[in-house]
Amino acid sequence: MKVEFIDEDDLKVRFILTEANPAFANSWRRAMKSLVPTMAVDYVDIYMNTSLLYDEIIAHRIGLVPLKTDLERFNMQDKCVCGGEGCPSCQVSLRLNVEGPKMVYSGDFVSDDPETTPVYNNIPVVQLYEGQQLMIEAIARLGTGREHSKFQPVSVCAYRIVPEIVVEDCDGCEKCIEVCPRNVFEMENGKAIPAKVIECSLCYECVKECPLDAIKIDEETGKFLFMVEGIGQMPMRTVMRKALDILKEKAEEMNKIIEEVSL
Amino acid sequence: MFPIRCFSCGAVIAHKWEEYLAKLKEGKSAKDALNELGIDRYCCRRMFLTHKSVIDEFARFRGAVG
Repeated sequence: MKVEFIDEDDLKVRFILTEANPAFANSWRRAMKSLVPTMAVDYVDIYMNTSLLYDEIIAHRIGLVPLKTDLERFNMQDKCVCGGEGCPSCQVSLRLNVEGPKMVYSGDFVSDDPETTPVYNNIPVVQLYEGQQLMIEAIARLGTGREHSKFQPVSVCAYRIVPEIVVEDCDGCEKCIEVCPRNVFEMENGKAIPAKVIECSLCYECVKECPLDAIKIDEETGKFLFMVEGIGQMPMRTVMRKALDILKEKAEEMNKIIEEVSL
Repeated sequence: MFPIRCFSCGAVIAHKWEEYLAKLKEGKSAKDALNELGIDRYCCRRMFLTHKSVIDEFARFRGAVG
């Protein structure tokens, strides 16, 4: 298995996975989406809320605010030394005490832990008008996307097959160039060549339209183009690595079970 | 209040809301504003285009009832 980055910035990455199979590509995708833990607010104590929104709506909105997560420092609550009661190594509390008139932003929360803060400080949470007050303690913990989508470290996480397109005995009729919706083909020396294979959506229009039946598409190349967009809790490379670690752990567990059964 | 995340894809969008309003105020079209903010999926774009904030309207009746 190899990974080759095509483009990479803070949140969006595109990479090609080679020497793999669909089962592995899909498990990796699913692991990134639903198994990598992140911090999010899960429990909210509301001491005072005279704003125009209900307590539940405010709690829900706070839950959706992404928090910077350092996976080295926190445990999942069910595997923590405190036994799930809540301690500094599995939860962080964020406090808020504001009075209107004011727009409450995610950056107004005061976190117990200076490194577990909202990813964006300018998310509007609620508008307070004259005389309205909000006094809240929000408790963040680790969770996975499987439990609630607010814990997902990625928003878009998809892959598609990168095929191998072979053109033999092309007479240069340019039919495939005309018909391809993704502009995969280009003319070179009077012949069509598949210049941008990674754009191919496997629509097979070129195969259907080619008068000479010169185009062949092979889908089982073991190459996959991944398009992943992060939320920002942690760097994208960390998400990818963590997902692989989790998969490895699961595979080892599976091996153990198989060994036990086959004794 | 503007939704914090896109309903469909789950990307965080609310941090761009006030910037979006500022761009509209400058006289830019919604299309240009969204392109500049880098909101390129149509699920996220419709969140901006179709949002109507009712909290300001609630506020007008504040104290009138209860």
